[in-house]
Amino acid sequence: MRRSIVNDPEDLVPEALEGLVLSHPRLLELEAEHRFITRKEPARDKVGLVSGGGSGHEPLHAGFVGTGMLDVAVAGAVFASPTALQVLAATKAADAGRGVVQIVKNYTGDVLNFRIAGEISGDDAIDTEIVLVDDDIATDSGEDGPGRRGTAATVIVEKVCGAAAEEGAGLADVAAIGRRVATSARTMSLALAAGTHPGDDRPQFDLGDDEIELGVGIHGERAAKRASFTDANGLTDLLLEPLLSELDLSRGDEVLAIVNGLGSTYPLELQLVARALHHRLGDAGIEIGRSLVGPYVTSLDMHGVSITLMPLDDELRRLWDAPVRTPALTW
Amino acid sequence: MTEQTSSPALPAGFGRAFVLTLREAFVGAADDLGDLDRRAGDGDFGTNVRTAMKHLDANLEADPPTSYREWLTALYMAWLGVGGTSGPLFGMFFRDLAKAGDEAGRSVPTAAQFGDALAAGQATVQRYGEAKIGDKTMIDSLDPAIAALRAALEADAETSAVEALFEAEDAAVAAATATAQTTARRGRASYVGDASRGVIDPGAAAMALVIGSARAGADGSGAVDLSWVA
Repeated sequence: MRRSIVNDPEDLVPEALEGLVLSHPRLLELEAEHRFITRKEPARDKVGLVSGGGSGHEPLHAGFVGTGMLDVAVAGAVFASPTALQVLAATKAADAGRGVVQIVKNYTGDVLNFRIAGEISGDDAIDTEIVLVDDDIATDSGEDGPGRRGTAATVIVEKVCGAAAEEGAGLADVAAIGRRVATSARTMSLALAAGTHPGDDRPQFDLGDDEIELGVGIHGERAAKRASFTDANGLTDLLLEPLLSELDLSRGDEVLAIVNGLGSTYPLELQLVARALHHRLGDAGIEIGRSLVGPYVTSLDMHGVSITLMPLDDELRRLWDAPVRTPALTW
Repeated sequence: MTEQTSSPALPAGFGRAFVLTLREAFVGAADDLGDLDRRAGDGDFGTNVRTAMKHLDANLEADPPTSYREWLTALYMAWLGVGGTSGPLFGMFFRDLAKAGDEAGRSVPTAAQFGDALAAGQATVQRYGEAKIGDKTMIDSLDPAIAALRAALEADAETSAVEALFEAEDAAVAAATATAQTTARRGRASYVGDASRGVIDPGAAAMALVIGSARAGADGSGAVDLSWVA
């Protein structure tokens, strides 16, 4: 039996958004009708950045609104895309006269609604570019299908595009750097236990004590593969092996790594995975130049972890290191 | 483009009559459309239809339309506020119908212009939904309706807009009913595969109601047959 801290489950998303904004009164503002969050002080004379998607992945996306990252984040219901009308209002709110980059995780509903919002924004002479994030290698299943899902690499795309926009880069350049991140970053995830929808008392799927779900998504959908449960080092290897065969890294390369908790994974567990990752990559002569360890792109209270790797170069390192001030990421 | 100067006119007030008739038809058929979707899809279509019509009521109340374009704009904005894939696709379809009215809002489209707008809407739905005819989606009833409308207008210069829309409605209803014989290849119904056989596609049924509502809006009866939607 899983219990949740909720009032009416119908009010979960708007009440959570209100709570976030009340907690960051100098940073954020809520547009309640269309359920999007903006910076308290809208940026001027820069390319706007809007992202969003289903709720249940917090701190993504609203936790990344602020200087150096997003201008606007729009929230759908749990695991459901915001409507085209919401995205349209959010896209307009993100425009400061130099166009808007929409950062979209690759899911059918999100892509449809952001594309439509982009097309209709054209009526108001707002130029838009979509950066599609599709980093999840577990769903790399060929050409005929929706393609790879978007997961934790979204954080890197939002950070790097945010920094480029803050520097004054134009619409096409901000989109181009975002696409470069999306093309080069890859993620692999596993879960020891599924998450539970708020108000439900059962997790979205059940796993045996000796099983893990390998290649799990962030919406509680089952993975294509099951694997045997093992220790932290072994679990890290299960994630790292497919990443290394996909990424074509060689000795002397430097990467950015995200060790991401999927909801109920606690920091000690994530630090063991981070440790194993450093040792394994170190043995291969690959340096983790920058990293994040923590819950950044979650799936309700799923117990699991994902590893995201992206090769670093001077430009990406500079944009990653640029100042950022948001509820979930600040330096 | 179809020659427009010789095309029969739709009546003044067509936008209002069309949208209000459609509203009544959708509200009346929402349960049956939802039931079709539960049998061959994910079951959210009935809710989506009701939500869209609730938004429509709010839009009409907040900003009463005064032209064809404004009536259709209230309708398309209502659908864009709905989830699933039906919301955005119907929203973009009705947006193309809205564009058939002039910006100044003084005129309603001719029957031929309305047919061109339906075709533009079909192209938009296909562009976003990536569906082909026969995939068991909303365009399965739309495509033959457009063909029937255009054929009726081209066959006889004396054909009225209402007569041509009756031809379109008959074709749409026949095609929607025939989707029961097919297996879904796009949309949520594609996930259930052969389980969708024997069930009319709710999107195709809803689209046939759109064509029927255009006819009933044009002839002033406001009456659309819903009995076949089940």
